Amino acid sequence: MAIASSPPQTFAAPARGQSVNARILRLAWRSPEMKVASALFLALCLLTLFGPFVIDASATKISVADKFLPPIFMEGGKLPHILGTDQLGRDLLLRSLIGLRNAFLIGVVSVVLMFVLGCAIGIYSGYRGGWTDVVLMRITDIQMSIPVIILAITILGMSRPNPVTIIAVLVLSGWPIYARVARSVTLAERQKEYVRAARIIGASDLRIMVRHIAPSILPPIAFVAVLDVARMMIFEAIFGFIGIGIQPPTPTFGTIIAGGTQYLLNA
Amino acid sequence: MAAQPLLSVENLSIFLGSGDAARKLLSNVAFKVEAKSVLGIIGESGSGKTLLSRALVNWVRPPLQVSSGTVVYQGRNLLALPEAEMACLRGREIAYIGANPTTALDPTVPVGHQIEEKLRAVEPGLSRSEARRRVIELLDAVRIPSALSRFDEYPFQFSGGMMQRAMIVDALISRPKLLVADNITQPLDVTVAAQILRLLRDLQRDFGTAIVFVSSSFGTIVEIADEVVVLDKGTVVEAQDTRRIQNAPVHPYTRELLARVPRLWHDVGGIPAVNSEPVVLSVRDVARTYEVKDRTSLFGKNRVQAVRGVSFEVRRGESLGLIGESGCGKSTLSRLLSSLEPPDRGAIEIDGVDVATLRGEALLSMRRRFQLLLQDPYNSIPSHVSIGETIAEPLRIHGLASGRKLREKVSAVMQEVGLSPDLQDSLPVGLSAGQRQRVNIARAMVLEPSVLILDETLSALDQVEQAKLLDLFDNLQRKHGITYLYISHDLAMVRRACSRIAVMYLGKIVEIGDNETIFNAPAHPYTRTLLSSVSTVEEKPFLPKDYLLEGEPPDPIHIPEGCSFRSRCPFVIDACRSIEPALVIKAGASAAACHLGMDDLPPPRICTVARGVTGLQRLENS
Repeated sequence: MAIASSPPQTFAAPARGQSVNARILRLAWRSPEMKVASALFLALCLLTLFGPFVIDASATKISVADKFLPPIFMEGGKLPHILGTDQLGRDLLLRSLIGLRNAFLIGVVSVVLMFVLGCAIGIYSGYRGGWTDVVLMRITDIQMSIPVIILAITILGMSRPNPVTIIAVLVLSGWPIYARVARSVTLAERQKEYVRAARIIGASDLRIMVRHIAPSILPPIAFVAVLDVARMMIFEAIFGFIGIGIQPPTPTFGTIIAGGTQYLLNA
Repeated sequence: MAAQPLLSVENLSIFLGSGDAARKLLSNVAFKVEAKSVLGIIGESGSGKTLLSRALVNWVRPPLQVSSGTVVYQGRNLLALPEAEMACLRGREIAYIGANPTTALDPTVPVGHQIEEKLRAVEPGLSRSEARRRVIELLDAVRIPSALSRFDEYPFQFSGGMMQRAMIVDALISRPKLLVADNITQPLDVTVAAQILRLLRDLQRDFGTAIVFVSSSFGTIVEIADEVVVLDKGTVVEAQDTRRIQNAPVHPYTRELLARVPRLWHDVGGIPAVNSEPVVLSVRDVARTYEVKDRTSLFGKNRVQAVRGVSFEVRRGESLGLIGESGCGKSTLSRLLSSLEPPDRGAIEIDGVDVATLRGEALLSMRRRFQLLLQDPYNSIPSHVSIGETIAEPLRIHGLASGRKLREKVSAVMQEVGLSPDLQDSLPVGLSAGQRQRVNIARAMVLEPSVLILDETLSALDQVEQAKLLDLFDNLQRKHGITYLYISHDLAMVRRACSRIAVMYLGKIVEIGDNETIFNAPAHPYTRTLLSSVSTVEEKPFLPKDYLLEGEPPDPIHIPEGCSFRSRCPFVIDACRSIEPALVIKAGASAAACHLGMDDLPPPRICTVARGVTGLQRLENS
């Protein structure tokens, strides 16, 4: 009624019409930290994506003549091997970039999966309570008690390791933390009045869990997740180092270090 | 020495921030506190009361800045005192109690030990056992039941009222000359607040402590203070003797404050009448018991009887008030009524359909008919969702509108409850408590319910905002014929808004009747106690000295046999010990669950022209 008669009021501020999320992003973009961090991240991504095409060398081709070349800023270094070569004459910068790409992909994908799986189980467990909660949390405890490396050796040692199985192992060992955190935050959120309010207007349990509880538990869990990407990358390197990671000739951080260890003291 | 006041504040101004952006919060405040007297400071929220009370103990920290003035305590300017010297005075000679006892006590240390620790810090020579003895003595003096065992209990084992008493002990243990009490009765139930007030008066007499009593409630202030300072937007507008300020307020702001104090007996006008429309909501013998783990045994369970058989009916377009103190089962009842939990037994019928047995789709469509408004305006709306989306959610869930139509409906309901439709796309972050509560109301109203349950919906708001929302509820009722169920502890609000009133105690309705009867001729001693402890500026028909309760309600695990009120009732007779009284119609036309007849209770004092009323009449004449 009054709305139709006064369009200038409703549409006076176009910024208002945007979704809340868009405005939050815009607000975040105003901080210089956000800009610097984004720029760095973007640079790394571009380097790992396009580096292999730009650098005129091979990460896998063996060339005994060029083995143990030092980086170019040291005596004896030569182009195109900016960071030098390894014991088989393969370009180290290129190998590192490809290793980083693999590690990062495995880290991000596995964290996203364990995040979704863990949160779903945690929210459900905390929201339901009772026996559901007891059973799910005991399963979580059991899973938590199995060391990652032993789980990895068992599974990856029996199958042929590839990115999919590595991610599966990481997700399997990583989700309990998310389930635990999500559950504890859910227990607190469940008591809050807005959840009661949602039930009063007739919202289903699923809707409450997805639309109301999930967004409010995001901040504490997102923080864990960001740190976990780095942790998963380290695990990926460890797997590579002990030989149960992505198999050669594809370079990974683990195999690069493993290949170099016996020459470390001679260098 | 005798002529010199204990504390005098001169020309005190405090700013927030510095430079051009500075905001003046207190300007040129001046008053005096005589030794052994009680000074009341009254003001609305935001008037600078708390800031002033903190300045009295030199507790003003950046970005707040004292720009001028002195606080002279026994010849020394506290504001200029070095921190070390101030620390010697604070807690020793000048004590401070804040509004929130739950955050003032360390949750990990037993209450008695905290007080003992303080006492020994103040008097280092004291032996442990001597300190302990003195703390227990004082805990006894503030009537904490079985102080000896309470000494070793943790704060979470104390109720709000008991914690506030413990804070009083904590403040008085060092026998201070001056006590600053900032809004200490605000979070308490009326009967407990009345007990605390009486306690403070007794202690003040026994120990000779001067008290600065800060409060936003006129009724509380006039009950305790000898002299009153009225604070408005950081300036003292009036300082007077208590009796004079009540009878002949000078400043218009004081008159406004006084006029705004809700009246329960005099000049009430506009009480909603009882109607005879068909019954909309019918509650029959509803009960709910929770099982909680008994910590003293491995598998033991304690049964908490939160609601023990409640029955009442509400007619279409009527407002029923349900009053009671915290812990009486109000909130549990509101959960049962709004179908968040099923009752153990009994029926809750809305238009003849028992909602307690409904499930799934049937319950969902029934939910449109009855909505619950919650108390906390900050927690009850999600903070990460835009206001428009919050209000639109019920429509989406029930599939009532979408797209353009949805937006229009949301705008319409926002206008109806007094929110600008421009706010649709904003987050609730900057909203005031009142505006948030309007969002809450809009979310319920968008479903066009026929019954609205208000569970302490207005108790978090100040009086002005409360009055505005009550008007809004009135309008909505007239326009849509909505039935209200007010669940509250606020007697004045219920007096204004409800045609019939039910009083709850320990999970049962002890008295139910129409508004006039409940307030003027109640038949249950508990109802009379509630009425006697309400703080107001008018003369009451029931006086605290006849009805004041000792202690607190028994916990709902150990409900006394016979009449559940007998452990606190001043008029207990033999029958109360064994026979549980049923609700019967009494002489005053209300139904009450009490063995006593109206004649067994002291007659209501006839209200002559009360002091407060003469003040009011003066105001109207001027």
